Amino acid sequence: MDKDELIAAIKEIAAPYTADKTALAHLSEKTDFITDLKINSANLVDIVLDLEEKFGIEIDNDAMARMLNVKSTVEIIEAKMRAHDRK
Amino acid sequence: MIGNDIVDLRQAELDSNWQRKGYLDKICTAPEQQMILTALYPARMLWLIWTMKESACKIVQRKTGIRSYVPLKFCCEVACHDGLQASGTVNYLEEIFQIRTEIKDNCIHSSAVPQSSDFEHLHLHYLQPSATYREEFNSLSGLYLLAGTPSGLPELTHQITGHKHAVSVSHHGEYLAIIYSDSLLSAD
Repeated sequence: MDKDELIAAIKEIAAPYTADKTALAHLSEKTDFITDLKINSANLVDIVLDLEEKFGIEIDNDAMARMLNVKSTVEIIEAKMRAHDRK
Repeated sequence: MIGNDIVDLRQAELDSNWQRKGYLDKICTAPEQQMILTALYPARMLWLIWTMKESACKIVQRKTGIRSYVPLKFCCEVACHDGLQASGTVNYLEEIFQIRTEIKDNCIHSSAVPQSSDFEHLHLHYLQPSATYREEFNSLSGLYLLAGTPSGLPELTHQITGHKHAVSVSHHGEYLAIIYSDSLLSAD
C-alpha cells in the first residue's frame, strides 16, 4: 500500500468522527485530527482501534502518543506494517 | 496554569462506544477501569475520569507547549464522590494536579490546578457555546478581557493591571465552560 492509499484509508476511518466535512474533503498529510478536523479527543481512541483492525497491527502507547495528525499516523502504520512483514 | 474539561453526556453517548473492545485499555489504567466497571453508573464514572485526565493534560500542554496523546500516563484518584461533586488528583510523571468536578444531569465538568489553595481564587462560568461566547464573557466580567491568541489559545487580560491571568476554555456538545484565576497568571 503506497502513501496515497494509506492517506485515503485514514480519511475513510476519520470520516465518522468529524462534523467538518470541508476539512475532511481537504484532508492531506498536513491535517491535524484535533485542530483541523475538530475530532473529539475521546474519539481519537476509536481511530486508533479502527486502524488496528483495518491493518492488523497493534498501536502501542508510545505510537498513540504521536497520533495527532495524518503525517505521524502514516509513519506509524508504515513502520508497524514493515515490522509485521519481517516476522 | 489551570485546565478544564467538559463532557456533554448526551453527545458522548451518541459519539463514543466506550464499551467497544480495547477502548478502556487504551485510555484507563487497571484501577481506573475497576472504578468504572464497578460504579453504579459506569458511563458517568468514565467521563468523570476522562475530564480529570483532560483537564490535567491541558495544564501540561500549556506548560510544555508539546501536544501528545497519552491518556494512560494521567493516573486518576477519586478521593470523594457524592454523585453531584467529586474531588481527586491526577498524577502525571512526577507531577500531581488537584481536581474538582461538578456532575450535573447532562454534563460533567472538571477543573485542574497545581495546588488545592488555588481553588480559592478560581471562577467558573457556564456559557452558551456560540461564536460570540467571548463577547458574552466580557460583558459579564467587566474586570477581565477574554481574547484568543493567534494559535487559538484563550488569553485573559486584567483590564486595570494588564496582567495575563490563567484561563481555560472547554466546549463539548451543548456546553461551554470557562475557568480563570484571580491569583494565578498565565505564566505561573
